[in-house]
Amino acid sequence: MTPKFKVGDRVVVKDQTSLFHTRTQAFVRNQEGTVVEHRPDWVIPEDEAFDKLETGRKEPFYVVRFKQTDLWPRYTGFAVDTLETECAEGWLRPAGKNE
Amino acid sequence: MTTADQARFQTLTDGLAKIAPAEHDVQDSPYTITNAQYDVLRHVLHDVGGQPALSVPYLEKGEEAWEMNTYVTCECLGWRGAWNSEMRRRAEVDLGETQYFGYPYYARWLTVAAKVMVDKGLIPLDELCDRIDQVRDRLQEERK
Repeated sequence: MTPKFKVGDRVVVKDQTSLFHTRTQAFVRNQEGTVVEHRPDWVIPEDEAFDKLETGRKEPFYVVRFKQTDLWPRYTGFAVDTLETECAEGWLRPAGKNE
Repeated sequence: MTTADQARFQTLTDGLAKIAPAEHDVQDSPYTITNAQYDVLRHVLHDVGGQPALSVPYLEKGEEAWEMNTYVTCECLGWRGAWNSEMRRRAEVDLGETQYFGYPYYARWLTVAAKVMVDKGLIPLDELCDRIDQVRDRLQEERK
């Protein structure tokens, strides 16, 4: 599967409704970050979590890097501090565009 | 990102803090709730962050035998096709916040391992409970 985003691309994590289970942390929703690594295609959590490891839909995954000061209103660390997390492609949209 | 997004996330985490172990809002199946309260109640727990927390003291702690036995049991259940890691995480979230926050980390694993075995029909619930009682009786006898 050809990844939609390149390393270095600015992306925003979608703020899709979550019910029952999610791998997309609440604190990265609607936050803008940078793609820093491609991860192998894998079954999306929405399928894997419901016993569809063999038959689930696969997507490219990305490591996305955020600035800690963007994520936490009360962050007291250094301005250069970052946080990285993994997202399936379906949870990302290009930065600077509305959904 | 924007101040509005930060404020919104702060509202969510502040709301979650109210139903975390330290403090409680009274919850007695109210006739109505606000949309904000619905967002809080619908919030999905996540095992790698995002929950409100107080500062945690750093303690040196080695892994105990029961913890590693739990880990191996869960891996074997995966190897034999009973579940995968994502199903385990979902099952932990399904416990609800009281048990999720109340159990030690590997007690959560152990509880949901039992749950998946019952869900998959690998052991009937009454047989599992009988075995738990047998083991408890045996251990109590041994410790006399």
